[in-house]
Amino acid sequence: MIAESFKFPEINSILRWRDLFSSFNKIALIAVAAAVIGSLIFILAGRKDASVAPKGVRNLAETSVEFIENGIVMQTMGKEGLGWTPFLLSLFLFIYLCNVPGIIPFLQMPATARMAIPVFLSLLVWVIYMGVGFKHQGIKYLTHTIWPPGVPTALKPLVGVIELISNYFVRPFSLTVRLFANMLAGHILLVTFALLTNSLVTAQTQQFMLKPMAILPFFMLVFLTAFEVLVAFLQAYIFTILTAVYIGGSAHPEH
Amino acid sequence: MHSAVVHLQGSSLQVHLVSSTDTTTTVATADTSAAPTAAASTETTVAGTTGTEPIVVTAEPLGAGAPEGEALVSKDPGPIVPEVKELLWGGGSFVVFALLMRFVLFPKVKKGMDARYNSIQQSHESADAERSGARAEVAAYEAQLVAIKAEAAKVVEAARATLEAERGAKLAEVNAGIAERRAAANAQAEAARAAARDQIHAAVSDVAGRAGELATGRRPAADVVDRVVNEVMAR
Repeated sequence: MIAESFKFPEINSILRWRDLFSSFNKIALIAVAAAVIGSLIFILAGRKDASVAPKGVRNLAETSVEFIENGIVMQTMGKEGLGWTPFLLSLFLFIYLCNVPGIIPFLQMPATARMAIPVFLSLLVWVIYMGVGFKHQGIKYLTHTIWPPGVPTALKPLVGVIELISNYFVRPFSLTVRLFANMLAGHILLVTFALLTNSLVTAQTQQFMLKPMAILPFFMLVFLTAFEVLVAFLQAYIFTILTAVYIGGSAHPEH
Repeated sequence: MHSAVVHLQGSSLQVHLVSSTDTTTTVATADTSAAPTAAASTETTVAGTTGTEPIVVTAEPLGAGAPEGEALVSKDPGPIVPEVKELLWGGGSFVVFALLMRFVLFPKVKKGMDARYNSIQQSHESADAERSGARAEVAAYEAQLVAIKAEAAKVVEAARATLEAERGAKLAEVNAGIAERRAAANAQAEAARAAARDQIHAAVSDVAGRAGELATGRRPAADVVDRVVNEVMAR
């Protein structure tokens, strides 16, 4: 009975959404909303009096700026990296605001659980840290990415292959997959426990104990929803801090 | 026995029901732009139902009318394939957001933060300077206090010494007065005593001379009487 009522939908039906209008679907809506909300926060913060102690939206904006500066840039790139704060701040806010709709009722879909945004951001980061490497080290960046300074000659063939694959393929790939897979897994888990709860509640069965047992998947659903709040923040933080590490490493090969 | 025959040609989809009584009906035509090739033609035969009642089959565009969240069926790309529209909207949104943040939003907020931090820094420095000034003033005050206390101690000491000297002088003066008066009193007493002794001596000498005269009939010599009286009074 339960097995009959519990039919997990096809994967595309929980990931792909009907177009709201031509070439614009819910993922696009969330991405645009993330950019608009992020901009609004800073527009409103910019209108507040900066000379007094910040509160409300100004406090939120300043806290995020200080978090990026002190928690990411200073830890990974040092003082010279402070110029990257606006980019890293945009990256963090955009990813976070794309992650959070996964637990917002009616939206219930993290935009980063689709491949497009993670892959775009990863490729952008890849292009940026390559560009920074060439800007700071010139053509030597190519050799430095394959053979970091100080590698013994005997190890160069092995290290060269590893670093080549790591710098040119694994980094963007891992950035993409880490964000995408974590958000997708969280989304599927939420869907699974929501459907399981619904199936137990609506099951046509003589075994009346099954309905109260719906509390178990419901509890998991609540717990995972709270957990996804943490995951949304954590994934944005990880993506941003790795970006800072890659850019910092490109600017200073000795790191 | 009915059979459904589906013709898929270009963007046109036709479904025919064919029965042994030669009833053929075109029941739906739909846009099938999702078909793999325009020239492809597909024919599928499925089992129908028996009877002569009309059968209504509706065909709708893929996903149309479905509740939000329902599948767009099997022609969709795999779930990990990035869709171009999502790439464009997502990437475009981020690029616009990042540029806005870089050139407009962040500088404005950061400028305000820096101005406030500088103001706070200046306030701290001013407070530090004031604190240092206050500490210097307290130190100067304490130094002055020490000097004043030392001066006061000196004055007190001098006053005490002066007082002691004055007291000593007064005491000496008083003692001298007392000694002088005592000496005068002693001298006066001695003079009175000497006078009394002289009077007693004279009286005793006179009595002794008269007694000797009465006893011997002649008056003893005055010097003998004086000597005898002196000897008696000296005992």
